[in-house]
Amino acid sequence: MKTPIVAFALSILISLSARAELKWEQTTLELHPTAADKQAIGHFKYQNPGKTPVRFKSVHASCGCTTAQTQKDEVPAGGTGEITATFNIGDRTGTQVKTVTVETDDPTNTKTVLTLRTIIPQQLEISPTFVFWKQGDKPDPKTITVKVGKDFTVKHIKVTSSSPDFQAKVEEKGNGEFKIDVQPQETKNLIASTLTIQPEDSQKVFYATARITNSPTVQ
Amino acid sequence: MTSSLVRQVLILAAVALIPGVGEAVYFRHKISWRSAVLPSEMVTVDQARAWGGNVIWVDARPDEEFARDHVPDAISLNEDRWNDLLSQFLVVWSPGKKVVVYCSSLSCNASREVARRLRREAQLPDVFVLEGGWEAWLKKR
Repeated sequence: MKTPIVAFALSILISLSARAELKWEQTTLELHPTAADKQAIGHFKYQNPGKTPVRFKSVHASCGCTTAQTQKDEVPAGGTGEITATFNIGDRTGTQVKTVTVETDDPTNTKTVLTLRTIIPQQLEISPTFVFWKQGDKPDPKTITVKVGKDFTVKHIKVTSSSPDFQAKVEEKGNGEFKIDVQPQETKNLIASTLTIQPEDSQKVFYATARITNSPTVQ
Repeated sequence: MTSSLVRQVLILAAVALIPGVGEAVYFRHKISWRSAVLPSEMVTVDQARAWGGNVIWVDARPDEEFARDHVPDAISLNEDRWNDLLSQFLVVWSPGKKVVVYCSSLSCNASREVARRLRREAQLPDVFVLEGGWEAWLKKR
């Protein structure tokens, strides 16, 4: 009984080694950029262990925020190389998963999906980033909560309102938590303010918006 | 003979199952690359159009694609320039308005991400993702 299993496994191994197929060191990469980084770059290394060259037919990323580049169009037998995937972080937050689909002329495995998982550190978590009052509402204060990210230390934050029509008061709650009370002077006019939230000793700036809106649309 | 063959098939299947189970356990906390959207948070082009002027269309595609063409009166809000664009969107938003976010096609994820941030970070109600995105809108134009 053992002989057919061994023969079967061997035949698969032999056929795998004979065909021209790229062997990837990793098809999933996890990147940890710093809070100041604008890009996260992943290198997907490959090898052609086959006996014939492999040609790239196409390499494309899952979104416009990611670009992917090959070093060469063809990988000779026994050759190595890498595909460089560059993820532009922009104003994204949290965990971002982007893919790069690689198509080759290998008939047995034409498509390979490479996954770039980027963990973007968040210095401050602001909730909500928008507070509003309807025109004519009582101008009671509304609270924005700010929590410091787990890998950061922020002892103080500075909050500035772009409009004198809104006041913002910061209260330090301890344990990396702050409370911002936002209050309009009045709610008669349709006015808005951008609140700039800046952690002490940091260049990074965060934003929240306060606004007096018109009344809901009647359906 | 038959039982031996069946046994061999079962052994091979069991061996093949080991890496599969291992991967399922290892990746159990890893997220899917597409944000989950409840069916109630999706909207078709026809449904969104039926809401008439009570809709704010939000284009989650990159700036260049928005500049090329977009749904009439749509506002650009993408994650490349979230901080700049969000304040421009919030100037237009008012309570009672429905927000419909779209990206390129059925397979894109940007609209789901933008809708998720509007709900979670700005805490806006009535935020929907357009089924089929810009491609679906073009077909119905």
